[in-house]
Amino acid sequence: MAAKKASPDLVNSSFSFKSLKLKTKQQELLLRVSILGLVYVLAFIARLFSVLRYESMIHEFDPYFNYRTTLFLTEKGFYEFWNWFDSESWYPLGRIIGGTLYPGLMVTAALIYWTLRFLRFFVHIREVCVLTAPFFASNTTLVAYFFGKEIWDTGAGLVAAALIAICPGYISRSVAGSYDNEAVAIFALLLTFYLFVKAVKTGSLSWALGSAFGYFYMVSAWGGYVFIINLVPLYVLVLLITGRYSMRLYVAYNCMYILGMLLAMQIRFVGFQHVQSGEHMAAMGVFLLMQVFYFLDWVKHQLNDTKLFQTFLRITVTSAILVGGIALGVGTASGYISPWTGRFYSLLDPTYAKDHIPIIASVSEHQPTAWSSFMFDYHILLFLFPAGLYFCFKRLSDATIFIVMYGLTSLYFAGVMVRLILVATPAVCLISAIAVSATVKNLTSLLRTKQKVPQTGSTKGVGSSKSSSKVTLDQSQPFHKNGAIALLVGVFYLLSRYAIHCTWVTSEAYSSPSIVLAARGAHGNRIIFDDYREAYYWLRQNTPTDAKVMSWWDYGYQITAMGNRTVIVDNNTWNNTHIATVGRAMSSYEDEAYDIMRSLDVNYVLVVFGGVTGYSSDDINKFLWMVRIGGGVYPVIKEPDYLVNGEFRVDKGASPKMLNCLMYKLCYYRFGELVTEYGKPTGYDRARGVEIGNKDIKLEHLEEAYTTSNWIVRIYRVKPPTNRL
Amino acid sequence: MADHTTLPHRFFLSISLLSILTVSQPDLTKELVSLRSSSESGVIRLSDDTVSKFITSVSTPRPYSLIIFFNSVELNSNPLQEFRREFAFVSASFIANNNNRSDVANKVFFCEIDESSDSEAFGLFGIQFLPQICLVDPLMENLQDKTGRMEEEDVDGTAESVVEFIESRTNLTVGPLHRPPLLSKTQISVIVALIAISTPFLIKKVLKGETVLHNSRVWLFCTVLVYFFSVSGTMHNIIKGMPMFVRDHQDSNKLVFFYKGENFQLGAEGLSVGLLYNVVGLLLAYVTNALVRVRSVSGQRVFMMLAMVVSLLAVKKVVYLNSWKTGYEIQTYWPSSWH
Repeated sequence: MAAKKASPDLVNSSFSFKSLKLKTKQQELLLRVSILGLVYVLAFIARLFSVLRYESMIHEFDPYFNYRTTLFLTEKGFYEFWNWFDSESWYPLGRIIGGTLYPGLMVTAALIYWTLRFLRFFVHIREVCVLTAPFFASNTTLVAYFFGKEIWDTGAGLVAAALIAICPGYISRSVAGSYDNEAVAIFALLLTFYLFVKAVKTGSLSWALGSAFGYFYMVSAWGGYVFIINLVPLYVLVLLITGRYSMRLYVAYNCMYILGMLLAMQIRFVGFQHVQSGEHMAAMGVFLLMQVFYFLDWVKHQLNDTKLFQTFLRITVTSAILVGGIALGVGTASGYISPWTGRFYSLLDPTYAKDHIPIIASVSEHQPTAWSSFMFDYHILLFLFPAGLYFCFKRLSDATIFIVMYGLTSLYFAGVMVRLILVATPAVCLISAIAVSATVKNLTSLLRTKQKVPQTGSTKGVGSSKSSSKVTLDQSQPFHKNGAIALLVGVFYLLSRYAIHCTWVTSEAYSSPSIVLAARGAHGNRIIFDDYREAYYWLRQNTPTDAKVMSWWDYGYQITAMGNRTVIVDNNTWNNTHIATVGRAMSSYEDEAYDIMRSLDVNYVLVVFGGVTGYSSDDINKFLWMVRIGGGVYPVIKEPDYLVNGEFRVDKGASPKMLNCLMYKLCYYRFGELVTEYGKPTGYDRARGVEIGNKDIKLEHLEEAYTTSNWIVRIYRVKPPTNRL
Repeated sequence: MADHTTLPHRFFLSISLLSILTVSQPDLTKELVSLRSSSESGVIRLSDDTVSKFITSVSTPRPYSLIIFFNSVELNSNPLQEFRREFAFVSASFIANNNNRSDVANKVFFCEIDESSDSEAFGLFGIQFLPQICLVDPLMENLQDKTGRMEEEDVDGTAESVVEFIESRTNLTVGPLHRPPLLSKTQISVIVALIAISTPFLIKKVLKGETVLHNSRVWLFCTVLVYFFSVSGTMHNIIKGMPMFVRDHQDSNKLVFFYKGENFQLGAEGLSVGLLYNVVGLLLAYVTNALVRVRSVSGQRVFMMLAMVVSLLAVKKVVYLNSWKTGYEIQTYWPSSWH
């Protein structure tokens, strides 16, 4: 409800008071601050649905790793954390945690935790982690306000803050419990951009310094910083091309780049990549180009002869391009500059990932975006965006050029990958806010001028020059007033629909923790499946502390964080071969898989199975990806062996290899005895809606250790080898 | 499968027999050579008469083999005609690669039979479906025999598949394929000349600051275009290779433009929805920003009414499509005391 009210209200009040030009400036300030305060609270509470529905817990997969590392950080201190070698994951390889993560999120949460403890609020670290994302989302609304104020006016700032507070594209990644890097990264991203735009506008060194520190925070928090370090140079380049080079730009960019680079290199995971990898080369190239521009400017100042300068210009530009080209070529050829990474490349050439990197293509959030996903996450902002673009072009400045570029590049990336909708959200909100603000401003000033016409008898109203010129045209026509009212009503109607949509989406789609599953029962009651945690606690309580658990990589982080047991692979997919080995084990016959498992010292195998509950994202549905990834490294695994006429089946018509592979056996072991649905035969798989093809499964080298109450997680013990006499 | 393995043997046998028999039927080969040289890319168009002349009325073993492409211009099928062009590449490449070896070049002839004009010959082979390629080897008597046919799963419309077929059945090598370049030499030279001529003018304009890059309208147009393609899911269509529309399973005359289901879309639906977004957005911008400068009052009124109606319809349509596609039903949460 709060969401529904806020956006129309604040637009209304801020504009009416602003254009009334109340003499009491304080009154306006008070209104603005209170609206911002409400938006701040709104952004926080809109994200608490998940806590209300379920409980205060960490969601999904990656957040469990972040939680585990934060716990380690608060218990052992920063230096231990920095030098942490984790032997509990990627057995037997292990993982150097300190050098392979972005520590920003953990350090932020730990700082908040320590601050609270210092203030004598004794909260559990988990609560801090759960609420970090909503807290930073609230802060983002403040940044959005200032950003909007910078590129347009205070009205646009307020609208932007309200829009971003409840925009589903952002909420999807920042509900309470989704303790992931993006939670703080979007705040850092927007802050960096805002400070940079401010620096370009003022040419002040302090703002540039601020943006460098913002950039540092962003680098420490999320790999998406690559977007900043490519967008900013691109922006500078566009300004140079369109003849908007200025001293302000020079100061802002150089300070931000040099300082930002030095700071970013302090993050171990980034390190020298920042000066060596191909993804960062654009920034360096533009930096050098800036120096050439500055130098030319200086020479032009020194030389009075224009002809001489022309010759000089030609020679310098040619040689600069030549030297740059040679340096890049030599750097790449000698291996000093590393080529682009697969993820980056897949953004520029979207078909790349599909052909070359199955591990990227397999993740559902890396899928390209259909229009309905855009509609789901942006709703009416999509209608407002083109209008906002138009307004930006009407009032072109360095700041509006930036926001337009940010919006378009990020929207393109959002089209390539669903998860990048998140990055585009602030830009979409800001540009749409400009559209709303400018429209409402135009319309209300039109209305007010009209009202004043009979009183003053003159056309010199208080509105903008445009609306007053309009008044001269049709003083006696009340029709326009009606039109304006109709348009205003339309705009407010749209905004209220937006608020309704956002609340609904947040509540229904984005607040489920995915570790606890909810379903509607036959009588409309809620049924909670808490099988995951049941299984992980079972592992924690009933297995030896040095037990190794093999599962598909999706569950790795959760097993280490909640089960406290060593895993073979986890969600940090850094070693494709290791994952492929697990994929191969899962898709081989039991005796072949046994050899692989012995070689990896596996004690337990964990599979996720949705056949009883109808839970569709289980291991059988992920199975083809295991085959693909396994087959990518070990050619003995061939995808067609598991398909029948190109179709993936688990019933009687399934391929023999499928019916006897390890994954099939572990998922459907003893399932043939079970009746899952009334009126259906035994062994009816509710997730796929078929009767399984192999009901008599015998296990030779494994034995069932534990199956959770709804059969979602099944754990098997690997038997030790039999004595050979 | 056994038939296939024996085919090359049959072919060899026939070649050895040919040395004796060619003397008796030299005219036919000559005639075929002349027909080939007069036809484009060396594909001989066979008619009802010529089929009987070169195949049925010649006693086996014939001194040559024929590779026949079964075509139908009337069918008006693009993939078929594309395959026909690929076939022509193979023919032209074969002739070019074996130009100075008449003993090889005159053993195989590439032919074509069109269903629309020579249906009798078509029936002779008992062709049921297209595309179809058939090798008539010197010993073949029963034209309905399926052993000379290219297997259905091998027909994938590329020149390479045809080459593979020929090389596996005849022990001849076609050699490298010569595809024509994408742009002919004259086209390239014209383009180069145009660029060369326009460069000085462009440089002059850039220096003066008068290019399209300095025109904000062009930029605006480009940004709206980028926006349009982004939000309409064009990248989705490119990456997943989605078609613009598909044919209905039940009724092949009906086209399906909209796909029901959240994470997939067809090309046309994305583009149409993207267009609706832009229409509404730009109308809003126009009404609030540019319309005020229009002199005529009635013009303003009419346009404003029109814009409002169009926007309303567009928004309604998009919302309707979205709920239909995703199956979501968005509802408001009222306080429980209001019920």
